[in-house]
Amino acid sequence: MPATAAAKIPPEERLLNLVVALIATDQGLTKDTILTSVAGYREQSEAGASKDALEKMFERDKESLRGLGVPIETIGDWADPDDLREARYRVPSAEYELPEDIDFTPAELALLTLAGGVWSEGSLSDDARSGLRKIRALGDLVDEPILGFSPQLNPRDPAFPALHQAIEASRIVTFPYLKPGEGAPRTRRIQPLALVEYEARWHVFGIDLDARDDRTFLLSRIVGPVVAARGSFDPALREGAGERALAGLEAVAARNSALLEVNPGTEAALRLARRATPAEQGIRVPYVDVHIFADELASYGPEVRVVQPADLRDRVIDRLAATRDAHGGAA
Amino acid sequence: MSPRPLVATDRAALMLQLVPYLVGKGEVSLDEAAAEFDVTPAQMRSMVEKLTVIGLPGDRGYWQMSNDLFDIDWDLLDGQDLIVITNAVGLERAPKLTAREVAALLAGLQLARSIPGVGDTELYAGLLAKLARGASATPAEVILAPEPVDAVRDLVADALRRHVAVSFTYKAPDAAPTTRTVDPVKVHIASGQWYLQGWCHLREAMRTFHLDRVSDLELTGIPSSHSEEPAPAWFDSDAGDVVARVRFPEAAAPLLGDYLDRAMVDTADGMTVATMRVADELSLRRLAARRSGVVEVLEPPAARRAVAEWAEAGLAQYR
Repeated sequence: MPATAAAKIPPEERLLNLVVALIATDQGLTKDTILTSVAGYREQSEAGASKDALEKMFERDKESLRGLGVPIETIGDWADPDDLREARYRVPSAEYELPEDIDFTPAELALLTLAGGVWSEGSLSDDARSGLRKIRALGDLVDEPILGFSPQLNPRDPAFPALHQAIEASRIVTFPYLKPGEGAPRTRRIQPLALVEYEARWHVFGIDLDARDDRTFLLSRIVGPVVAARGSFDPALREGAGERALAGLEAVAARNSALLEVNPGTEAALRLARRATPAEQGIRVPYVDVHIFADELASYGPEVRVVQPADLRDRVIDRLAATRDAHGGAA
Repeated sequence: MSPRPLVATDRAALMLQLVPYLVGKGEVSLDEAAAEFDVTPAQMRSMVEKLTVIGLPGDRGYWQMSNDLFDIDWDLLDGQDLIVITNAVGLERAPKLTAREVAALLAGLQLARSIPGVGDTELYAGLLAKLARGASATPAEVILAPEPVDAVRDLVADALRRHVAVSFTYKAPDAAPTTRTVDPVKVHIASGQWYLQGWCHLREAMRTFHLDRVSDLELTGIPSSHSEEPAPAWFDSDAGDVVARVRFPEAAAPLLGDYLDRAMVDTADGMTVATMRVADELSLRRLAARRSGVVEVLEPPAARRAVAEWAEAGLAQYR
């Protein structure tokens, strides 16, 4: 591309001119019209940029705008829908704009403001703020903010952003998954359907394509990159997946319960109390994952004793022995 | 939030939101608009100036007429740092929410819902429906399992709203219980745990209390006199005085989670040594035992011995 002054028009100006032009048209604009009349393309056309280069730029711009949620409609040839040479492009404003009849009450805005502030870092915090801005632009309703509470979400698992993106795009993903007790990670291939936080841990729920069944994976056990495949699966599979995942985890917790003896007044007693129900000999606490619960119980040292089940008791004993031995053994 | 570097697509996205915001405001200061968009006033000025070259395409072969472009009141911008749009050529209504924006807000709403007394079922249901209609695509489901709310959480939320002090028994780890009276200032909710920050009448200072360690909580009739006190930055409150060194395989770093946020980390041959401040030596016992020997406490020596004794005492229960 020749280094003309025209080529220096910043890309965001071209993108915005394109949106304005596509919203203003009812019948749609042909690619040819766009490349020769929309500011940003027009200058480069006139400066002699090749048609091929301009068309590629237009394709990229369309993708960028779709990524921002701008719905670009392609109206193909009536007789031959696959023939895009004479296709027209437009942005239907009903699809682009927030519906005219949506507005938010002051109480709703206050709640949304609290909700939008929970992401402490990462890109979802930008998304929450940007969503709030769009909503606030509908009307500057002032309400008393909800003070005194600072709820925070901070998914630290490196797999979180890639999985979120893959679910939104309905893409199959693969990732290395290391189960406790297994020497090496095994690659899993799933249709990811929902992300679920349960007892402060993040899980991805999906259809395991090798096991051909629903599976729930702990994000903390994904030990390598999450790779998304090219093709997408039917987004209808995602409907109701979150509820299904939650019901699954709750069913596991209802099945697994430990009988524990706890020294009253200790850290263990305090931390377990909210989850516990009293039993004849101590307390009963439901759990989802035996490894994670064994880790927690081991941390309480002599403050808690596992009565049942044997599997959990053995794992706690192993952990305590390993901890003792790593620190110079018994005195 | 600090202004971050923006790429062209980000800038385009911001400008698509800027027009409806400015149209809605009528007139707004550069500073206020910059704060709303998390950019510097200089960046906001350049966004507004850029707006004036955006517009409808000219008729084939002709350049655009001035009323085909956005325009602003330049005198107000240059003279008083005020933004007023004088001609708009579209984009006046805010764009629909992206799938990610809706997902981020929905997850936040689920967390907000766990706070007693904030919003009712009807309010949440209405919001969910509006967000669904305002979305440009189906968001990825991000679900938060509801946490059990106990009486302590209920009462603390109530005390905050009524601006009265609370009294309770506090059992800090490995210390004798104490009775406290506290003017509640803020409740932090993170990883399913609630932490109350407030003015402690006993210590005459701001303190943070983990609500799982609170019992016998009651509302007093004493009006909270420090509720306007600025809450200290969240993580400052648990910085400790003990310098500890721990060793673990590099790959096990995620096991340490936020402990490492404030640690000095040194890795060689796949093993990492982290130097960090902790509240007290005894807390290291729980840290090490939770990671079943994968995380090894090196220093202080007394803490290392305490870990071995802690694990041994645990084991003794099973003999």
